[in-house]
Amino acid sequence: MARYYSFFMVLAVSLFAFPGTLPAKDMVLKKPPASLDKLYPPQSKEPQFIQQMHKMSGSFGGVFVNMKEGDWENAEKKAQAFVEAYEETSKMVPEWKDYFDLKAVKEFAAAVPSRDPAKIGKASGPVGKTCGKCHGEQTVAVWTRYHWPKVDQIKMVDPVTDKELTYGKFMHEISGTFKGVTVNFGEGQYDRSSKALRDFKKRYMELKSTCSKCHTNDAVKEFFVGQPIAEAFDNLARELTAAKPNPGNFWKNVGTIGKLGCKQCHLTHRSYAIIQETWEEE
Amino acid sequence: MKIRIRWIRWSFLLLALAVLAGLALFKLINEQPRLIPAFLVEQVRQPDLLEYPEARRCADCHQEIFEAWKKSRHSLAWVSESYIKNSENRSKEKCLACHVPKEVVPGVKPDPRLQQRDDGIYCVPCHVRNGAMNGPYDLFSPPHPTRKNADYRSSKFCSTCHQKTFKEWSDTGSRQTCQSCHMKRRGGRLTQKFPLNWMHVKREVADHSFPKGDLVTDSLYVQGSFTDAAFMVRLVNTTVPHRVPTADNGDPRLFVQVTFMDEKGGELDGDREILSPQQDTALIYQKPVDLQFFPPTQTQSARIVLRYQPAWGKERSDVVSLTVQR
Repeated sequence: MARYYSFFMVLAVSLFAFPGTLPAKDMVLKKPPASLDKLYPPQSKEPQFIQQMHKMSGSFGGVFVNMKEGDWENAEKKAQAFVEAYEETSKMVPEWKDYFDLKAVKEFAAAVPSRDPAKIGKASGPVGKTCGKCHGEQTVAVWTRYHWPKVDQIKMVDPVTDKELTYGKFMHEISGTFKGVTVNFGEGQYDRSSKALRDFKKRYMELKSTCSKCHTNDAVKEFFVGQPIAEAFDNLARELTAAKPNPGNFWKNVGTIGKLGCKQCHLTHRSYAIIQETWEEE
Repeated sequence: MKIRIRWIRWSFLLLALAVLAGLALFKLINEQPRLIPAFLVEQVRQPDLLEYPEARRCADCHQEIFEAWKKSRHSLAWVSESYIKNSENRSKEKCLACHVPKEVVPGVKPDPRLQQRDDGIYCVPCHVRNGAMNGPYDLFSPPHPTRKNADYRSSKFCSTCHQKTFKEWSDTGSRQTCQSCHMKRRGGRLTQKFPLNWMHVKREVADHSFPKGDLVTDSLYVQGSFTDAAFMVRLVNTTVPHRVPTADNGDPRLFVQVTFMDEKGGELDGDREILSPQQDTALIYQKPVDLQFFPPTQTQSARIVLRYQPAWGKERSDVVSLTVQR
């Protein structure tokens, strides 16, 4: 046991110490083929492709659930349903036809009536590989394109200027007023910093409306634009109207807004938005 | 001559019999409908009425209610420009349950339906439950079975989709219901189709245009006052037993615009605040809210204007306007 432990420790240390010695695997995110557009809203009334995935997953997994329970009659039904669903799926996106191996699926279905778990497990291997290959190469791209909301379609009315802006431009405005708060504070221009803070707060709080365009759950708003942020704004306003503002308190509250608000939201949403924007530019 | 008199007598007799039969039928329909043999009723039933017909089908009999509903936002739930835009061309799944509900059961989030989506929130999802047309009255209707259901006079019915507004209303303890303000009742007939319209007594019919309730000067208390360095605006929602504005997912707004003026009435500066349910700044019933503004030093007066913008449009209407001297 101790020998195994030592071996894994050495392996783990080696991996951390010499990361460059291991071949890195690149991931290329390609925009999904146009034919998939027809299988997701708005072109389709329902997200047909993900529904088809559930159909395949339910029948493939159903074989093993029934096998474990010794319910061979239903296992065979599920195997047949899986063959049908797999064949249907292979025709849905012509550009992806090479991911599918109909022969392997038929061999898997043919193995189920044998009621031999080892044989069934072996036959499922090549099928599982086809699923894994497609998921590995396409899942992130599909989720980014069809499941993440597209912020570029969100229009907002700037609460300060009353002008309608795209989400990206609005973010620039927010960033500008945030800098107005910090830069003026650094220069000792507390009145200007205070005015910038009022505009910054209005724009920041406007984001609550933006969150609600997609999120019906108030917990999401509370996470990004919640009580700690509101308190940080109040603390900043108090500090800026004090006879002698305390830089320590000021920067601490700036940090709260930056870390709990801006950074958390950007970490969650920004990467996907960048990928979507890149694809839109093509 | 004799023949003519006899003919007149018979005519009077037949007319009297017809009137009596009509009165008997009227009484039977309105007071003892269960005495009507079921097999007779089955002959005139129209089962498709319970299977998601288009709303226009209901107008065959309920023309006035249909016309009122056509004016409502409910009728536009699936086809309005603002919904299509905000739901990214109807692709946001979270919107479907309440914009095209399958069956409205009080307090239970509906499933979305696939049929008649263009009709949005319409007669069938709200009134058809368990194979009958449900409503506030126990009455006889030949085309479809009916069932009296107290839910239709309860705010909980509306809470199915208007959950946040329902909670806001519950918190006020108000005795007014959603229906008492947004579905006001007046005397009328449920059906306009002859002769069915004459077969039923007049009843109180609810307004199916679901008016939102207009904010007027007296709806809110507004006061402005100058302090040494600031201008304070106090607002109180004194009359509306939920937040103002209110919405679950929509984004209606009340803009509080303050303009500062010099001694000649020239505009010096201005600022504004937004009261909105999505920003948690909407006015809570009878809870004062104080907003602080910063006037330029030469300010002599301030004008406060409150403007309302509904969730579905960009048009703003003035609610309150007043000027305060320093």
